[in-house]
Parts: sequence; structure tokens; C-alpha cells
Amino acid sequence: MTAMKINLAERPQHSISALLLFFILHSVQVGVGLQGFQRIVFKSAGHDAWISVLISGIWSVIVLLIMVKTLSFYENTDLYGIHFDVFGKWIGGLFSALYMLYCLFAFFIIIRNYVEVIQAWLFPQLDAWFVALTLVVMAIYTVSGGIRVLVGLCFFSVLFSAWMILLLIFPIEYADWRSLLPVMEANITHLMRGAYDMTFTIIGFEVLYFINPYIKEKEKTLKFSALGLAYTLFVYLSVMIVSLVYFSGAQLENTIWATLTLFKIIHFPFVERFEYLAITFWMLIILPNLGMYLWCAVRGMSRVFHRNEKSYIYWFSLLIIIPVCFVKTRNDVNTLNGFFAKIAFGVVFCYPFLLFAVTWIKKTYKERKRRKSI
Amino acid sequence: MFFKKGIKKQGPSEKEKTIESFPASKEEVISFFRQQFHSAADLVIKEVCPHLTVLYLEPLIDGQILREQILQPVQNKKIHSLEELYSILSVGDVNNEKDPEKAVESLLNGSTLLHLDGTPRVLLASTPQSITRSLSTPELESQVIGMQVAFNECLSTNIGLLRKLISSTSFCHDQLVIGHQSKSRASIVYLKEIASEELVTTVKERIQKLSIDALIDTPVLAELIEDNSLSIFPQSILTERPDRVASQLTNGKIAILIDGSSHALLLPNPLIEFFQSKEDQNIRWQIATFLRLLRIGSMVFSIFATSFYVAALTYHYEVLPQPLLVPLGESRSRVPFPPVFETLLLEIVIELLREAGARLPTKVGQTMGIVGGIVIGTAAVEAGFTSNILIIIIALSALASFTSPSYMLGNVIRLLRFPIIILAGLWGFYGIMLGFCFILIHLLRQSTLGVPYLAPFYPPRYKDWKDSIIRFPAQFLYKRPDATRPQDSYKFPPSDGEG
Repeated sequence: MTAMKINLAERPQHSISALLLFFILHSVQVGVGLQGFQRIVFKSAGHDAWISVLISGIWSVIVLLIMVKTLSFYENTDLYGIHFDVFGKWIGGLFSALYMLYCLFAFFIIIRNYVEVIQAWLFPQLDAWFVALTLVVMAIYTVSGGIRVLVGLCFFSVLFSAWMILLLIFPIEYADWRSLLPVMEANITHLMRGAYDMTFTIIGFEVLYFINPYIKEKEKTLKFSALGLAYTLFVYLSVMIVSLVYFSGAQLENTIWATLTLFKIIHFPFVERFEYLAITFWMLIILPNLGMYLWCAVRGMSRVFHRNEKSYIYWFSLLIIIPVCFVKTRNDVNTLNGFFAKIAFGVVFCYPFLLFAVTWIKKTYKERKRRKSI
Repeated sequence: MFFKKGIKKQGPSEKEKTIESFPASKEEVISFFRQQFHSAADLVIKEVCPHLTVLYLEPLIDGQILREQILQPVQNKKIHSLEELYSILSVGDVNNEKDPEKAVESLLNGSTLLHLDGTPRVLLASTPQSITRSLSTPELESQVIGMQVAFNECLSTNIGLLRKLISSTSFCHDQLVIGHQSKSRASIVYLKEIASEELVTTVKERIQKLSIDALIDTPVLAELIEDNSLSIFPQSILTERPDRVASQLTNGKIAILIDGSSHALLLPNPLIEFFQSKEDQNIRWQIATFLRLLRIGSMVFSIFATSFYVAALTYHYEVLPQPLLVPLGESRSRVPFPPVFETLLLEIVIELLREAGARLPTKVGQTMGIVGGIVIGTAAVEAGFTSNILIIIIALSALASFTSPSYMLGNVIRLLRFPIIILAGLWGFYGIMLGFCFILIHLLRQSTLGVPYLAPFYPPRYKDWKDSIIRFPAQFLYKRPDATRPQDSYKFPPSDGEG
């Protein structure tokens, strides 16, 4: 392993404007989690679940702040560069490899969850490996096109799915607003517990660590990233509140994909049972997630291990199909989601603080040393 | 020029035949040109007066000019030197030429060669006749309001039409020769102060890199110099309208015209411009916006309507409301085929009708409409081969595909339907969505001359959205699109209160 460059010099045709961060972060955050996060959070926080959503949203913005701060210590780097700089070649390499594994795990979890939805709602007989293969092919096609294609997909994914929030108007017709009352019945522990349960749904903004070197106007990073997170929070809050007023508590506890169930009552003169359309349309929502996580992992191969990226796009993504076949039942998926959420909580919500502290210490130490030498 | 060098290298025997300088004697000159043109039947060799030989290729020259300005002045005169001959001729463009190769070239371009016995040089008088037809109205891109003249097959006429619309010295016209057999003249036209120099160089480089033998028409060139020739989507627009080319030149685009082709090629060309018609600029902005939205809507409808029918009836009949499902079921009850087969069958029938209509003369073409519409349509339903609701959907989506102002894109839309119908037949809505995502990613991957294909939407350039799927009133369109990377971004200074 030769020494890697900490700062990347990106060619201008690869750079993307900071504004697109809004679309990138929002599209990576929204994914399979949104289909059924209500039940999990409701179990912990009861009808105050929306407060938990709010807490986790605010928390995510704080983490984002820390991430931007960490990145701003450097000129133009990604997480792999920071790892190398702070922890050195071997430990830094190990951390980077673990992060890559996390990205691949996320990639796998997204596929597995979507496959389950497809099987449960649309085609019970369709083989899991086949659905996974089609998704993987799409992800490969995106990632092999380079960062601009990937970001473009994020952009259009947000643009084309923005209308779906309007569908919430239909269930509101049947809303019982009293079910939100009394506010703050749950105690702080329950609310925090609920916020923790949001992890699986709200993660995704950690890709900022990797997309950072490609951003043109670094000073606007925070503004647009925060806006993206705020929009995500708005979507989650509206879905949560509508679910709370539409379903009764007992229903919500037994509904695995509450968002999809919400779509059931939507009917137009020419189309009803809207969830069939929504589920298939969800492919456009999860493709940016798949592409982004795959890209992050593959990026590590070239940054940390100095390998040619292209071939690993195929290796990594095709490798993921194998475990998809082994996870069979609903229980397995649930356990796996819980396990992933635990890891993600550590990686996304705790690790940035540690990294920030270490980077900060190293920076001040260096500064002091430099001053002394003068 | 360098094509010639290539030929020389290929055939050393030919080099022996060619000679470095002109032979002085009359017989030698005649035999040299006979040999060069392989005794072509249209090569005319005349001895007008004692010593003076005149040579030309008969179909290429203007007989009247030859008679009045060359033959009559020299008749019955004794000419001793080329200088004397030069002063007698009243043709505007006369060259004194020593190089035999260049003489052959000018003969091919419609010059008349005059040789005085005993002189190792010749005079070449330019007497070309343009083989062309008169200007006619645009057939493919007809418009209600707007210029009623289309390009024809003569390059100089076409350039003249453009020069007439843009009378400016910044109008640049570079000529290249393509094809070592056809030696087609290709003109690259752009506006000096506006078009990006980088793009112009790229176009020229791509054309110069070509080593083909013949280039007869512009679409072939388009395919050869496009970023991705394998994609189904065209990356440059073909147009027969001079006004469209002129207005796009002012937007910073580059046009390529080829002698003998009645279509100009415009580069770079993002996808959205295939939905724009020149007429949009000539009608009120509200109507133009409505028409653009209609065209894009009909493209989406055209690609996905029939596949939606297939998916809904094969797998997801739950999505259809009861009042719609019952008549659908009734009309399908007699159909012996699965929906996907039924739809493919009818789609192919429509394509058959279209193709047959395109090949037939106009008068017979009308019969095709009757055969297709009444005989096949009605009979197919009555025989129970298809449901009549499907006929309606297919007819609508065929109609919708013809709203595309670009013939090229209309074809793409019609062809894209087939894979999506098959996907819908295999995996229902999931299949349709796979097709949709694939097309989206594919479009994201394309570029036209290095410019992203989905500009100005991605990468987002909000200021250019004013003239994309919507059209703002003309006073707001003060900016040239970023997609062409213009040197000068503003068409005119924005009015007060505008950024």
C-alpha cells in the first residue's frame, strides 16, 4: 500500500454545484425506511411518535454540522483521506475498510427490504435473487456512469417523487385529530427510544463524507445539506402525523408498511389501489440509495487500496445478491433491520463526534507545534 | 488535401501516371486528361481555333457561360500567349495553373480548361452550373406561421439562405472535404463572437478524424460524429428549416451542412430541444408553453400507455376501478390472446401501416389509411382479435408519437414502446418501472458534444428553464442557453428589474 493523497484534486468537469447536495442527501435519506417506520417508532413513543421524529431530525442536523466542521479542517478530502491523515496507514485503512463494509451492508439491507415489499405486495412467486439482480443491474448501470450520472439520478428521483407527498391529502379525509392528544404523554426515555428507532429511516446523510471532494462551492455545503435534511424531516413528520391520525394505535402496531397501507384508500376515476403503483414507483426512490452506497464502497477500493474502481462495481454488487437469497422470512428481515440499525446508529450518529474530536485535537496539536517552531 | 496524400501512398502505380508539370504539346495534354478521367463519356475536348484546346466535363458546366464568355471571344482569333487569352476572356474567375492535379480537381468542380499548344500551363475558367432544384416549402417540418422555405440540395444556396437571415461578418463558414471518393464539401457554420471555440474545434476534429470513402447525406455524418452512436436517442438535430438553423446559431450552436444534402445538422443538442419547434417562437407564449407541455405529455403517454394496459390487465387488475374494469373485461372476453400478445400484435399492425404509408406515393397512401383504420381496425375487433379499448389506446399513443416536432425522436418513441410492453407483460408495473429507470439512467449517461444530454434540467441551470418545457415571453429570454457554452451569454441587456 503506497501513501495515499489526503486531498483530492478533482477535475472541474466532475465537480457538482453545492445546490445538488439538497437533492443528494434527501434522496439518500428517503428509501425503504419510509415505507414502514411508523410501527417501530409508535411502539416506543406511542402517539407522541411525531416528537421522536422531530428529535431525530434535529439530531441529524447536529451530526451534519459536526461532519461539515470535520471536513472543513481539510481543503478537499473525503472520509478515507481523513482516516489516513488521523489514524495513519494501517488503523486508518482498517477504519476505512469497516466503513466500506457498512456501506455494502446498507446496500444489502435496502435491496432485501425492497425485495420483501415486492414479494409481499406484488409478486409472491417472484424469486428474491431475481428482483435483487434487476436492482443491482440498475445500480451498476448508474455507478459505472460516474458521479455525475449518480447525482443526476438523485436529482430526478427527488423531482419525480415530490408529488407523492400530495397523496397524503387522501387519508386526511378520514383523520381523527384527537388521537394526537394528549401531547407529551410519553416520557423523555420513550421519546428518546423512539428517536433511536428512527435511525434506520433517517440515515443516509453520511454520504456527505464521500461526496465532499466533488462539491464546487464548499462554503455553501452546510446551507444546502441542512435544507435537504430539513425537507426530509418535513416529509417524515407529515407522514408520521397523518399515520397517527389515520390509524388507530392497535392498527398501527400491526401494520408493517403503514405508508403503503395509507396509499390503499387513494382512488382516482381511472386508478385505485394506489399502493401497487407506489410500490413500483419506489424503485426510483431507492435507486439513488443503492447507487450512492455502492459508489461509496467502490470509491474506497481506489482511494484506500489503490485498485481500479470499475471492476469492483460489478464484484461488490453481484456479491450482495448471494446473502439476499439466504434471508427468507419476515422475522429474519426484521432482526436484520434491527441489527443494521444498531450499527448505523454507531456509525452515523456517534462516530462523527469521535472523528471530530480526534481531528480537532490533531489539528490544534499541529498548530501548536508549528507555532513553537516559528 | 491529405486524403490525396493517402491515395498516393496506396497506389504507387498511379503516381507514375501523374506527371509533375504540364506537357507542352496538345496531344500529350489530351491524352493525359483522357487517361485521368478513364475516357469518361462526358469529358468534352474541343479545338476551337488552331492551337487552342478547350476541356470540360459537360454536365458540370453552364453551357451559356461557356458559349458567351469563352467560346465567342476566342472565335477566329489568333492567340499567341496565355496572357493574351487571359485578357480576352470575360469570365470573372480565371486561374493560371501549373499543377496538373489541381487542374483535374477544378475540372471536377465545374471549371473549363483552356490549353494553348506549346505552353506548359493552362487557364482554368470557373464556369460551374449548380445542379439543383428550386426552393420549396418544408415538408417534414411544416409550420403554419414562419418561413416557408426549406433547404435544398445545393450547398451554396443553403449558405446563402443562412447569410440572408444573419447578415453579419461574425457568420463563420469553414469548409472541409470529407470522403476520399466522394470528396463531399462540408460546411461548418457558426457565429464567431458567440459559439464556443472549444466546441467548434471539437466538431472540426471529429470530422477530420473520419476516414470514410463517401459521405452522401448529413444523417450519416451525424451518426459518425455523435458522442454515442450506439444510443437510440439522436444527439444532434436534423432540420430542413433555415430559420431554425439561424435562430440556433444565435444561441451559440454549430451547424453542419453538406453539399447534396437538404438537411442541416445542429450541435450540441440536448434532449429538450427535440420537443421545441421553431414555431413556438412565432406564437404567443401561453400557447407555445401549452404546446410544449402537450408534446412532452404525449411522449410519456405514447411510451407508457399501452404497457400500462398490459400490466394492469395481466397482473394488477385491482388498480382499475370497478366502472372501468367491467367494460374492459367485456371487451376482452372474446379475445383469445394474453394482453401482451394482443398489444404487440396491434402495435406491429400500426407500425406496418405507418411504414407502408411512408413508402407509398401520396395518392395510394390515402388508401392505406382506409385499409388500416376501417378494415383492419373494425374487422379485428369484430373478429375478436383485440378489444376495442386497446384499439383506442393504441391509436391515441400512435397519434401522440407523431406530435414530436422531430421525426427522429418520433421514431425513438415508437420503438421504445416495444421493450416496455414486453417488460410489462413479464413483470407488470415492476417491469414498466425497470424500463423507466433504465431510460432515465441511460439519458443521464448521454452527452451531446460533451454537453449533458438532459441540460438544462440536469445539471440544473434555472435561468435556462425559461425556454425549456415552458416558454417565457420573449423579453425574458435575454440569455443564451448555457448548454452551448456561449462566449457571450446575453442576447440583449435584461430589462430593468430583471437580474
